[in-house]
This record gives sequence, C-alpha cells and structure tokens, in this order.
Amino acid sequence: MNLQFIVDGLISGSLIGLGAIGITLTYSILRFSNFAQGDFMAWGAYGTLSVTAAIGALVGTTAPIGALSFGWPLIAAAIIGMVLTACLALLLDWLLFARLRDRGQSIIVVMASFGASMALRSLSEFIFTSSPTYFSRGIQMAIPIGLGIRITPDQTVMLATTLILVTAMHLFMQRSQTGREMRAYSQNPALARVVGIDTARVVRATWIIGAALACAAGVMVGILVQIRPLMGLDLLLPMFAAAILGGIGSVPGAVLGGLIIGLSEAAAVQLIGAEWRAAIAFAILMAVLLVRPMGLFGRAER
Amino acid sequence: MSIPDVPIQDVPILDVRGLIAGYEPGLSIVKGASIYADEKEIVVILGPNGAGKSSFIKAIAGLVPVTGGQVLLDGRDITYGAAHLRVRQGLAFVPQTENIFPLMTVEENLRVAGGVLARNEVQSRIDETYTMFPDLARQRKLAAGSLSGGQRQMLAVGRALIVHPRVLMLDEPSAGLSPKFVEMVFARLNEIRRAGLTIVLVEQNARAALAIGDRAYVLVEGREAHEGRAATLWDDPVVAELYLGQRRHA
Repeated sequence: MNLQFIVDGLISGSLIGLGAIGITLTYSILRFSNFAQGDFMAWGAYGTLSVTAAIGALVGTTAPIGALSFGWPLIAAAIIGMVLTACLALLLDWLLFARLRDRGQSIIVVMASFGASMALRSLSEFIFTSSPTYFSRGIQMAIPIGLGIRITPDQTVMLATTLILVTAMHLFMQRSQTGREMRAYSQNPALARVVGIDTARVVRATWIIGAALACAAGVMVGILVQIRPLMGLDLLLPMFAAAILGGIGSVPGAVLGGLIIGLSEAAAVQLIGAEWRAAIAFAILMAVLLVRPMGLFGRAER
Repeated sequence: MSIPDVPIQDVPILDVRGLIAGYEPGLSIVKGASIYADEKEIVVILGPNGAGKSSFIKAIAGLVPVTGGQVLLDGRDITYGAAHLRVRQGLAFVPQTENIFPLMTVEENLRVAGGVLARNEVQSRIDETYTMFPDLARQRKLAAGSLSGGQRQMLAVGRALIVHPRVLMLDEPSAGLSPKFVEMVFARLNEIRRAGLTIVLVEQNARAALAIGDRAYVLVEGREAHEGRAATLWDDPVVAELYLGQRRHA
C-alpha cells in the first residue's frame, strides 16, 4: 500500500480543519450554520491574489523564498487578505445577519447565509470569471521523505503554518480574555451580559477570526491547488462534517475532525476509488455520531 | 435660591421610579414599581408567586425591556443603558438559575467577569474571592458545572463581586439550597453588606431574608404594594392580607 495518502490527507484535512474553526465558532456563538464560510475562503484567496498583483505592480518581480513557489509579497498579501475577508464578514453581519439574528429565528439566519453564499459566489464568478487561476504556475519537485512518501516544500510550509495557526487559536480561546468571553457567550448569552461582557464585541471577534482563518485556508488551497469561485463550496460539506465530528464549539475538535475527514477521504480514494471520497467521510461522521452524539470534543448540555 | 438644598447623602444609591417593563410590547409584567436602596442597606423584595419580582429585578439589571419609568444609580440615569455597562457602573446582578458557566473552570468563571479591570487587579480580586469563599479556592481548577448547588451560588456571588460593585442584586439566592446553605449564603450577604455594599434581594424565603434585611417591599401584580422595616414586616396584618395566606407556607 502506498502511504502517500497520509500526506495528501493531512494537507487537505488541515485545510478543512482551518475552515471548520470558523464554522464551529459561528455555530456555537452566533448559533447558526454559516453556509457562506466557504465563500469567505474563495474571496480571501481572490483578495490575496489581487493584493499580490498590486504589490507586484509596485515593486516588480520578486524571487521566491528558498524552494517555495512564492515570495514575501504573497505572505504580506495573505495578511492583508485576512483583514479584508474579516471586513467582508463584518459587513455581511451588519447588512444581513445582525438584523435577522435580533428576530431570534435561527433558520432564517441560516437561509440568509445560504443566499449570501450564492450572491458572493456569483459575484466572484462575475468579477474573476469561473476559470481557475493560480498564485504561481511554477512546478515544484516533491521530495521523498521515506516509506515511499513525497512532500513538496510548499506542502511542508502549509502544514507548519496550519499547526501554528491552530495552536495560536487554541491558546487564544483558552488564555485570552476575549477567548474566555467567547466561550462564556457560547454557553449562556444572557449571563454573559450579566457579568459585564460586551456581547457586540464577542460577535465581532467571532466573525473576524472565522473569516481570517477561512482566508488563510483559501490562500493555502490556492497555493497548493488552484483558485476558483467554487473552491469554498467544494469544501463546505467536509468543513461542516469536521466541525460536527469534532464537537461544536471546540477549536481542536474542528481541526481533528478535519484531519480525520481529510485522511479518510485520501485513503478512500486510494483503496476504494475516487467516487467514494465523500461517502467515506460521511460514513465515518455517522459512525462517530452514533457512538458520541456530541462529537469527539463536544460536551453534553447540562 | 430656586435650587433645593438637598444634602448629597439623601440621594439613594439605587432609585427605581415607576418602572414599567415586560418581554413583549403591550404586555407589561412590571407595572410602575418603585423602590429605593440607601448605602449599606439590605432591601428585600417579597411577594406572592407571579407578582413580577423576578422580572422587576431583571429589568433593573437591564435584561428585560423597559418601556417606562427610571432607574437611577447614584443619581445617574441608567434606565436604557446596556446590561453589560450597568455592571461597569457598579450595579451587579446574580440571576436565580443558570448563573455560572458550567463548562468553564471556577477560576475562569471569576476571571471572565474581570474584563474591565487591569490584569494585575484581576488576580488580586480573585484571591479576595478565594479568601471569602475558601471552598472555591479548593476547586478552582474544576469545571463549575461539577459544583454543588450551594457552591454554585457562592461562585455566582463571588463573580458578581469581582468588579467591586456598589449595589449587589440577587434573585432568590436561597432557591434550591439546603437549610444549612441558606443560612450560610445569608450570613455571607450580611458580611458583604458590612463591607460597604448595598444589597437588593428578591426572595421566596421571606423568613430568612427578613432576618438580615433592613427594609422590605411587597410586590403585588407588578407594583410595590407595601413597604416597611424588615423586622416588623413579618407581623404586619397588611402583608398577610397581600399574600392571601401564602406567606405562612413560604
């Protein structure tokens, strides 16, 4: 058996996991399933691409870093892209979600996010066309690392970046005051107000974090695969599966859920056939939920 | 001089005037209730079931929409301010149920309430709380959801005190507690008052509450129907009338 699926699965799994953090936080704090999360990925990638082009126009061609396919402009552009995606999410919340959320019907907010998702997707097809585009057209040599596994320098850096982002996110949720306030709000919004938590701030923080991480995931998909308006939609169901599998509200859970989905999809492609990819992921999701309905890291309501 | 010469200590720290409040427009539960509390006073709000006691105190805390009347904290109008701002202005509230974050540790429950304080201040306030409630110190790393009913109540009170409020409002702190814990909670409230706080208390357990209270109100149908010294209220025939005999079973 070829063990290459481990690398492929870890890569796609960590990207799914990064996107799923936004979904799990939106679900546990704002209490709705945000179907536009995938489109934040696509918009983040396109935004970053545009900023990269702008930087390129200003400073000319820059050499890539070491063996990687990209240089510092992409890193700078990705950070700006994360800010822009966060602004997009805040704008959507102000325009749409905040007004509907106040009326208290969660299903209406879910449908609104569905509509927002379609609008964002159509808009991106209109602006950027539906044909795929790339951060770099260079071809990277995969380096053998033993046991028949090969990994490209880009893939290594993306895995490391994911690890750093997820660790930072986990520490933020556990150790920072804003993280504590977000957890408190997710457990009991009314009590959060009673203890002096500015709930509008918690809502903003949730959007900013979810959108920024979606952008990071989108940029990584763009670097490793390609950028398309539909790139987020394709990952949406796996991201939801990861968030549910890991336990709603849990950041490490979302990432672990993403890795399980990614690895099992990659294994399924190799062992059974590519057409079973999605089915295997969902079979695992169902199996886990039958044993642990609250997900791997989720906790039963008290 | 047209300005009346009112000495500053005559302004009650909490002054609620003709408060009208309810969850839905047109359906007021609180129908023009007025109470006040002076500094270092324990004010008890009693009343039969369904009198609107809980909604009243929640409206003062900013959790039930207010449609009329005024809430003055130290002379400042906070009637329509956001709930989280009232805490910062010195008005703390302990709800009756679900008053802790069960999935967070005891210490996190305290820390999360200290958002407006400087970082080094938070730790000293938490240590203060542990001195007051040694039980909590022993269980600081445990999930708050694993605490007993009495310990939860102490955590909720301790957390409300983290920001050093001037007025502490509690909604039935004795509900669901064993008599031993009821006695302890009320003893603690008395200590807290002696330390300089004003306490406003909604209670079903009239006997225990009046024992530590200074003044008491009886709320009936969303309005204060009677006011008196806590020590004598118990034997007031008017109060017995208002309760329609319910009081003796309380």
